[in-house]
Amino acid sequence: MPRRTSARDGGRSRPRRPQRHKDVPYRYGGHRERDFRCVGCRLDVPGQAPGTAHRNHCPHCLASLHVDDRVPGDRAASCRGRMEAFGLSVRPDGEWMLIHRCLACEELSANRIAGDDNVLALVRLALAPLRDPGVAGRVLLTL
Amino acid sequence: MSHDEHARQGGLSNTLKVDTFTCVWCGLTVSTFAAEGIRREHCPSCLHSRHVTDHVEGGPSDCGARMTPIAIAVLRTGDWRVVHRCVRCDELTSDPVCADDNQLILMRIAVRPLAQPPFPLEAFGTL
Repeated sequence: MPRRTSARDGGRSRPRRPQRHKDVPYRYGGHRERDFRCVGCRLDVPGQAPGTAHRNHCPHCLASLHVDDRVPGDRAASCRGRMEAFGLSVRPDGEWMLIHRCLACEELSANRIAGDDNVLALVRLALAPLRDPGVAGRVLLTL
Repeated sequence: MSHDEHARQGGLSNTLKVDTFTCVWCGLTVSTFAAEGIRREHCPSCLHSRHVTDHVEGGPSDCGARMTPIAIAVLRTGDWRVVHRCVRCDELTSDPVCADDNQLILMRIAVRPLAQPPFPLEAFGTL
């Protein structure tokens, strides 16, 4: 291979052609930048999820990681503890919100459920207040 | 000054120090001492609370806004906890449920996800 800038080449060398546009961003994590591996069940989770643009929990076991501080996505928390699904709340428009609780520092966070979340795990969580006969039975008897 | 500090300083008194707060939503005057001996954090009538504690960094919070009950969570022990969200800064807290809380509102929050499921629940009949 001849060298590109040889002294004998002189002014005959053409200007360097700019690199063609790449559809796949290879640098800075690239197209797999927001993928993660679940801390609970070690499932490889893709970053894109149907129905939401802010996936932060495993679709199989609903576990999350405590990486965000006050603002979702700021990655400012130094805890890095495991967050487990704690409860379900419903927004006024009918969307389910998953409430996580950090096992290390008991911090709470809320995230909308994704389209590929485990339906069985979600319904188990929704039925959790009614499962235990102690408190639920007392509440129903006093109504 | 709490009751424990009173006892430590030698001024032991039989009178229980009764501390009250006024609910920011329904205006009910509530005693902070619940029947179970735990400190009451929310109104027993409407379950609303007030953002006075900063749970991210600890210590008192300068927000002071109203917190609405959004969810019921269950601990491993089977006890219920009410999850509150601040209407001003969206911070979440959770408080234990007291025995004299409004049971109708508690059960309404608990079964609210089942009333509006995002997927048909009929499919669970085949599982």
